[in-house]
Formats: sequence, C-alpha cells, structure tokens
Amino acid sequence: MTTTAPPAAPPQPSAPAPRRRARTARPKTRSIVLGVAGILGLAIIIEIVSRLGIVSEVYLPHFSSVIAQMVLIFGDTGFLYDLWVTLLTWFIGLTLSTIVAVPVGILLGLSPVTYRGARAPIELVRTMPAVALIPLVMLALGQTLEMQIVIAMYAAVWPILFNTMYGVRGVDPKAKDMARVFGVSRAGVIGRVVIPSAGPFVATGIRISSSIVLIVVITIGILAGGSDGLGAYIAEQRAIGLASAIVKMYAAILVTGLLGLAINSILGWAERRWLGWDSTTRNDA
Amino acid sequence: MTTQTQAIATRIQKAEMRRPARVALLVLNYVGPLVALILLWQWGTTVAENKFFPPPFTIVENAQRLFFSGDASTLFLTPAITVDTAATLYRLLVGFAVGSAFGILVGMAIGRSIVVRDLTNPIVEFLRSIPATATLPLFIILLGGDDAMRIAFIAYGVSWFVIINTAAGVSSVHKTQIEMGQIFKVSPAGVLFRIVLPAALPKIFAGLRIAVTAALLLAIVSEFTLATNGIGYQLVIAQATFALRTMWTWMLLLAVLGLVLNLLLELIEHLTLKWDRLSRIAG
Repeated sequence: MTTTAPPAAPPQPSAPAPRRRARTARPKTRSIVLGVAGILGLAIIIEIVSRLGIVSEVYLPHFSSVIAQMVLIFGDTGFLYDLWVTLLTWFIGLTLSTIVAVPVGILLGLSPVTYRGARAPIELVRTMPAVALIPLVMLALGQTLEMQIVIAMYAAVWPILFNTMYGVRGVDPKAKDMARVFGVSRAGVIGRVVIPSAGPFVATGIRISSSIVLIVVITIGILAGGSDGLGAYIAEQRAIGLASAIVKMYAAILVTGLLGLAINSILGWAERRWLGWDSTTRNDA
Repeated sequence: MTTQTQAIATRIQKAEMRRPARVALLVLNYVGPLVALILLWQWGTTVAENKFFPPPFTIVENAQRLFFSGDASTLFLTPAITVDTAATLYRLLVGFAVGSAFGILVGMAIGRSIVVRDLTNPIVEFLRSIPATATLPLFIILLGGDDAMRIAFIAYGVSWFVIINTAAGVSSVHKTQIEMGQIFKVSPAGVLFRIVLPAALPKIFAGLRIAVTAALLLAIVSEFTLATNGIGYQLVIAQATFALRTMWTWMLLLAVLGLVLNLLLELIEHLTLKWDRLSRIAG
C-alpha cells in the first residue's frame, strides 16, 4: 500500500506493443474468470457457514441477506445522509490537507538545509497515531465536523508533505540551471520546472492520504458515536443489536469497502490520465 | 550511470568522514531541529496559555509522576506502566505476531501461484479497502468484549499490509534462482523457505514496518470501547474527567512507543538483512 509509492509502470510505447497485447489477451480473460470464481466460491462458503448455525443467525446473518441489504440500504434516507456527511468530510479534509501540505513541502524541499532539518521533527510528531488525538480534540471542539477534519488533517498531512518534499528535492538540477540560463526568474523556475516535475510525487501523496482521511473519518464515527457519518451509522446499528440492525451493520461495512475502492481507483485513474507522462519520460533517461 | 557513481562516491565519503564530523552532522540534522521545536513549543504554550495545550516540560514532569513514581517492589513503575501499558503492549504484540504470521503464509501462497493470485485478487482488493476500524463492531458482535476480540481485530487489520507486501516480494523472486535450487535438488519446502522467503524478506519487512505502526493504532482503537485497562482506556478516562495534562502525557507515551517499536523492527531488519545490503553495495 503505502510502500508502493510510484504508480505502476505504464505499457512501453515501443514497437512490439501490439504483439504483446495479443499474447496477454488470453491470460487476462483467465484472471477475470478466476477472480469471479474466487468471489463466488467465498460467497458460497460464507453462505454455508452462516446457515450452519455455528454462530447465532442474529450475529452472523446469511450472506445473501447481507448482499440484498447492500442494495436496499441505498433506499434508507438516514444511511444516505450519513454517506453524504462522510463524503463531504472526506473531501474537505483531503482538500485542506493538500492546501497546507503542498506549499510547506515545496518550501522545505527547495533547500537541502530545511529538507534535512525538517525530517527529524516530522518523523517524531507523526509517530503518534491520529486516533490518540480523538479524545483531546473532542474535548476542545465537541462532536463537530471541525473535530473530524482537524484529526483527519493531522493524519493526512504527512504523506503529502513527505512526497512533496521528496519530489521537489529530486528535481533534476540541470533542468533548473537550464531554466535559469534562459532567463527564467526564481519564481518562474519553481512554477514551471519544480512544481511540474514534483507533480507525480504530490499526486501519489494525495492518493495515499485520500485513503487515510477516509479511514480516520470512519474511525471517529465508530468511536465517538453520536456524530453523523458512515462510522456512526455502523456503531449505531451495533448498539441497536436487533437482527435487522445487524444486517444493516454488515451491509454498511461492505459499503465502506466499495467507497474506499472507488476513491482509490478514481484517484489512480486521474493520476494516470494527467500525470502518465512522468514514468515514460523518466524511463528514457 | 553518473548518479550511480555519485551515490558510491557519497557513500565512500560518508564512510571516510571522521567521527567528530559525523557527530556534528547528526546534531545539525536531527538533534538541533528537535531541540528548537521543543523550545518553540514551550515558549508558545507559556506565552499564550491555553488549557488544551500544556507546555512540554509540564507534560514530561507529569510523565515522571504518572509512570515512574511507583513502589520500589515494581522498580518504581506505577500501575500505569505495569498494568495499562503492559496490557496494550501484550495485545499489540500478540495481534501483530498472529497477523504477520498469517499474512506471510497467505502472501506466499498468493505470490507463488498465479492461480491463487487470480482467485484471490478481487477479494483481497475489496477487503483491504474496508477501513480495518470499521470492522471493530463486527469483531465485538462475534467475539465479545475481551482480549481475544482485541487480538483478533489487531491481527486482522495488520495482516493486509503483510499479505500485500509478501505477495509482491515473493512474486518478484527471480525464476532462475528457484530453478537453480531445483537443479541442485533442493526440496520444495527448501526452495520455499531457503530461497523464496529470504529473497522476499526486504519487501516483507517493509510490510511489517507499516504493520507495527498500524498495530499500535488498532490496539488503542480497540481499547476505546468495552475495555477495563490499556492506554486507549486511560485516554478515554482522562477525557471523561477533563484531565488534559494526563491525556497529553499518555499521548507522549504513545509517540515514544511508536518510535521504539519502529526502531526495534528496523534493528531486527538490519540484523536479518545484512546480506542484502552487502549484495546491493557490491552489485
């Protein structure tokens, strides 16, 4: 996850590409077939286990009813509202983290002195898990949207900051010198050389943080209860404890997975769409 | 090419640097900024007094009282250490060990066989997209409120990082290495444990390092509800009693714990992977 920093290598645009595509076509359908088989197999196993009655049906509902509930739940206005709140909090949290972390990262990355000096304090501060902040920030701000955003930002700022610093630090000095020689101003060098070449790193940081913000927002809901959002919805259904509520809890947990998957693939797609030039140009070097 | 020679040159330069120079560099890059940050924090919190942000020296003072003012029979450690911190560490370490062992086994199966990888890929991708913390209510419902639930929850959350990294490491092992082992009539188990596993270790350790940080987080999350001890439990109690200084002290302990766990794992990695670094420098 976080270790695979750079985006996957794009297909090489060289001559033998069409032939390779033809050859990989069959294994691709095979992996899709196997993937579907895997999902069905697991579904059948869970269905059988849930019907064997090892665990009470209240606590482990039939898998088929959970899947049905995953569709039905979207007709529940309370759930839709919680989903909306989670998405909104996620968006604000990620946007604010980016607005804070990118400029700071650029400033710290520009000079070797600040780059090295900033590393130790940042490493130390970020070792404290964000969830440990929940009690403190809840006392200070109450059960509010601001509370969720502050904690999410504490967790999400670091990957963007680190990746930006790293990207800015790694800009080819020859490219910077070249721009200077052609009479580009200092600000111009930052705007037209440093930021574009650090862009892919920044994007990777934002993608990592996008998952982190989602996790933090849902965690706060689970722990703090009361407040709105998907996490709170899941915690509420568990607290109600009736069979009908437990099914909803399972369905909502699975929906968070879909949400995480959707966010990650949209950002991954955007990264490839607008920053795809990066790995190809770098491979030539 | 040039960057490679440069890298080698800086490495030699670093090795040749005399000891005082190295210490000076360490102070300049790490200790200096840290001391500056702490002093700035102290100054800021004393000038602009705010009950939510106690000065760092007050927190350290409080830490001494909270953690190290105990009885001589317990080496002056208070129950905050011998009961709560110990409970958290126990859950964390057992959960981490179980989750990592499971993750390495599953990751190896996925990494070794294309069929297994194709079968499990969509499932793994989907399940690891569910925030682990979102499954806490599920674990509570299925396993109740005691330590077994906490350990299972930590193990579950931790295992994904290890599975992904192990699978990536194992599948990137060079085919010739495995074939070489087969030619030399190494048994299948031998190939697995003496060729594939060591070759995948650097990647596995990368997963373990993320996992241990996650384990600390999950342990605390699991102690926020239904617990009777542990660091997470103490944080909730401090919140309920408005004990802000105590809360900060526990948070300081958490930061230190996170740092120590990371350093420990890095030390183990350093000792285990000596050969890998040597081969990289040579190659």
